[in-house]
Amino acid sequence: MASIARCLRAARPAAFSAVASAPRTIGARPFSVTATNAIRRYTKEHEWIDLSADKKTGVLGISEYAAKALGDIVYVELPAEGKEVTAGDAIGAVESVKSAADINAPISCKITQVNLALEEKPGTVNQVPEDDSHGGGWIAKVQVTEQGLKDFDNLMDSTAYEEFTAAEGEH
Amino acid sequence: MAGPSRLAAITRRISSSPYQSHSHPKIVTWPAQTRPYTQYLSRPLQIYRSTSTDPYLNLSIEHHLLQRSHPDSTILFLYTNRPSVVIGRNQNPWLEVNLHLLRQGLPPSAPLDQQQTPSADTHGGGAHIKIKTIPVSLVRRRSGGGTVFHDAGNTNWSVICPPAVFDRDRHAEMVVRALRRLGVDGVRVNGRHDIVMDVDAAVGRGYGGEEEGKQTFKVSGSAYKLTRTRSLHHGTCLLRSENLGRVSGLLRSPAEGFIKARGVESVRSPIRNVGVGGEEFADAVIGEFRRMYGGEGAGDRVVVCEEEALMMEDVVKGLRELTSPDWIFGQTPQFTFSTHPTEDDPRERPRIEHSLPYGLQAHFTVRHGDIQSAAVSGLEYQDSVDEASQNEILSKALVNQHIHHIKDWRTTLKQASPSPVDVDDAGEWLNHIFGIQTPGVKGDRSLAETTIEMIAQTKVAQYLSQNSD
Repeated sequence: MASIARCLRAARPAAFSAVASAPRTIGARPFSVTATNAIRRYTKEHEWIDLSADKKTGVLGISEYAAKALGDIVYVELPAEGKEVTAGDAIGAVESVKSAADINAPISCKITQVNLALEEKPGTVNQVPEDDSHGGGWIAKVQVTEQGLKDFDNLMDSTAYEEFTAAEGEH
Repeated sequence: MAGPSRLAAITRRISSSPYQSHSHPKIVTWPAQTRPYTQYLSRPLQIYRSTSTDPYLNLSIEHHLLQRSHPDSTILFLYTNRPSVVIGRNQNPWLEVNLHLLRQGLPPSAPLDQQQTPSADTHGGGAHIKIKTIPVSLVRRRSGGGTVFHDAGNTNWSVICPPAVFDRDRHAEMVVRALRRLGVDGVRVNGRHDIVMDVDAAVGRGYGGEEEGKQTFKVSGSAYKLTRTRSLHHGTCLLRSENLGRVSGLLRSPAEGFIKARGVESVRSPIRNVGVGGEEFADAVIGEFRRMYGGEGAGDRVVVCEEEALMMEDVVKGLRELTSPDWIFGQTPQFTFSTHPTEDDPRERPRIEHSLPYGLQAHFTVRHGDIQSAAVSGLEYQDSVDEASQNEILSKALVNQHIHHIKDWRTTLKQASPSPVDVDDAGEWLNHIFGIQTPGVKGDRSLAETTIEMIAQTKVAQYLSQNSD
């Protein structure tokens, strides 16, 4: 994801103020099944990644903040299964309102599974972008590399991300 | 043959190009063998004008600017392409484009104006028959959005900037101001971030969205690409295209009623020219861009020519990707094709031509150009056989075929069938639907092959092949 949430602020003031003022409920999302046993981190480019308890696997997606700012998502170009990627690599893209926005790997990892259901129902990313369960808007499941674990430590936790997006909104 | 002397000759010709007008204080010329346009990539404000009319190359130069320019820089890039149909990143060429009309090319209605397109001299050395039509290139761009038509009467503008200052209307508004300065009335940015022109109904022609005696025509379409660090907004602008009457036909596929596609479908709009010249338009857009980002005279105006762009490894890499059938056709999101209404696609089907064998039913699921599942029935088997099992074997044999590599559906069906079958009518109809030329003197050619052939005839491809090992 590009810094799109910020990008689109000027274009969609109404949508933006809704995002900025909405109460943050990241820690208490009703649909998440793994929030209790996984740690979630965020990138400045608005991707999230859950790390499993054994730190070997993860699930990634784009943040609720970004999904709202992007507008109606009409297509999700999924990553290639089996691909090994470095943090920051473009692994897929989402299209909304004529914009193809890259999805970047939040950490170094290997893509093991992609959420095929999004190809048919891309709007799921708008509805439940941070849901990593079946039927959720998660993008891919990954195997975490040693480097990936180090990358993970540099990402923001939900509190820091919340502050980060709030600060972005104040510009 | 294509040694340094040829390059020097080309460079000399470019340095006297009309783009380097006398009215601008800083004119950049390109002596042979110096550093190319890339030396400007770290400047805060950059303005480039491509002299190439190759759509694949111009998009590759643009992509190179997007990826390699300083993250804080702001760039304007202007280019004009030879006739092309450009589909969005996540679109379906079988659904969006009339591939038969595309291949037929455009009649050279205005031979003098069209002399500027490289296609005219590309074919100059070949047979005379080819001069009769002007080829139309099929291009898939990297940005989102719908399908557009380009030609010499259309100029494309592109702004690359940090994402923080990006919004979907900002640069369309810039172009609107440029048009107004040129005396074009009634232009504005609409809710789809396109530039439209409101014309008095008495003056306008065609069927626009009529409002209080006004008709609205689209004159410029927008698309965007967002990377981790950069944002790109590019748009067309119909200035003096002589092919407006042909655009609608080119963008209407015979497969429309039979294909249901994932991804992005185009929104049709009535179009019109704004009636200004290409260089006039470029100057006005550059003026507005400078007013926005640095004042009069800010930012050198840099001319980019084909030969120097092709010296950049990244540009060539991007070019190879954009010209490959795997990108043009293989990037297509999953779609289903069915001759009859299905649960998934219950639309009533267009009346099928009478030549189709009675009872023929065909259903394919195609993912990234590969047939994933197929069900064909109703073909007439010549021997008395168990039709159901024959159909099943035939359908199974179609799975995993790449649809853009099929040369002739008659052959494909015949080879898939376990026993002799009459496939001529069904095959011809499928050829028609999927844009395959019914094989003529040159033999069977798939869409991929036709595309490769067309690209191989372009100046850029010839230059590349002459200069590679």
